[in-house]
Amino acid sequence: MLSQMQRLSFNVEGRYATDEELRFIPEYLKTYELRLQTYQKLQEIEGIVIQQVLDKVLAQAPNTIRTDTIDVSANCKRDVTMIWRYSVAALLMDDPDTLRERCLLWFQTIVRAINRQKVCYATYTAMQDVVKQYLTPQQSSLFLPILDLNRRLLGND
Amino acid sequence: MKLILDHQTPAKIHNPKNHHHYSFKDYFQFDADKGTIVDWNDAQNIFATEDFIIGLVEGLEEEVGEASAAIMYTIGCEWGQKDAFFFEKWFEKEFDRPVRQTNLMFLLETWWWPFTAQGWGRWEVDMGDRRQGFMFINLFDSALARTLGDVGKPVCHLYAGLFSGFFTEMVKKQLGCIEIQCYSMGETYCKFLLGGQERIDAASFWLNEGATAKDIEKRLRSGELK
Repeated sequence: MLSQMQRLSFNVEGRYATDEELRFIPEYLKTYELRLQTYQKLQEIEGIVIQQVLDKVLAQAPNTIRTDTIDVSANCKRDVTMIWRYSVAALLMDDPDTLRERCLLWFQTIVRAINRQKVCYATYTAMQDVVKQYLTPQQSSLFLPILDLNRRLLGND
Repeated sequence: MKLILDHQTPAKIHNPKNHHHYSFKDYFQFDADKGTIVDWNDAQNIFATEDFIIGLVEGLEEEVGEASAAIMYTIGCEWGQKDAFFFEKWFEKEFDRPVRQTNLMFLLETWWWPFTAQGWGRWEVDMGDRRQGFMFINLFDSALARTLGDVGKPVCHLYAGLFSGFFTEMVKKQLGCIEIQCYSMGETYCKFLLGGQERIDAASFWLNEGATAKDIEKRLRSGELK
């Protein structure tokens, strides 16, 4: 929404916007109530979902989060929580572009630098499964594409 | 009068230790009154057009001929060395830990992010051959090469110098760098070899003899010049 607003303001400089160019605003307003409800729900279930996801990933492949020498689960939880909150904000604002530009592209290089793509793939796959249990299908339809974006950007080589 | 450069965008004021601050709006602060562009690390930036880059490269070539490549490389080396010190300072301030106690790949990605934000292109570091004493850097969207287009020869000498200067300073060992594949030679991305001078000289010789980047990689990996 914010990215679209910015693009609109840039594109219509010195002229009037067309109906087509303005269409995203009523479309956003139509979904706002659902977005807000989902946003509030995601805020409420943040801790429980993240813990379930990490438990699931750990059960599937224990060495991905804990190794013999170090336990990186605290860092992992911190990072997953950070990306979660950006993702939830992107859902409210309908703005995956900002999520991608301000957060995911940077995090992608860090994930690749420390070779954690597999654990990210597993995390965002598990997160889609877990989160679905707490959301209505309508709410899921708004949030799952964002989790899929996270999985695609962070979980692939 | 000394200009005080202090990045104070809302993003930085709100969270000065935020590590992912490389979007255009967060990373640059424009001050129309002072006429400055200050980046997140309080360095002054200047935005240059493609015409400026063409003018710089072609103007230098006209002045000094073939020596322009060596001059660009030397400028890059000095820039890289200075930037290594600058990087060390801002990294330690932002991450509260010394650069030498940090995962190397994480460190390198962190070093390159400001360059990505400034439009120097994205990179990919291939450390697979580090133990053999050399490594490769792939550069996508080189500002020089994409501006100059297909001119049939490598043009990113400034980058080669930058990598040489920075890595020499970081590892405290003299390292040279050569571009062995360039977008300006019709390739899809640029590729640099970083290593000891004898390897760089050999790669330069092979390149002049018509070798491709793949040939050079193969010859180095097969143990020539151990």
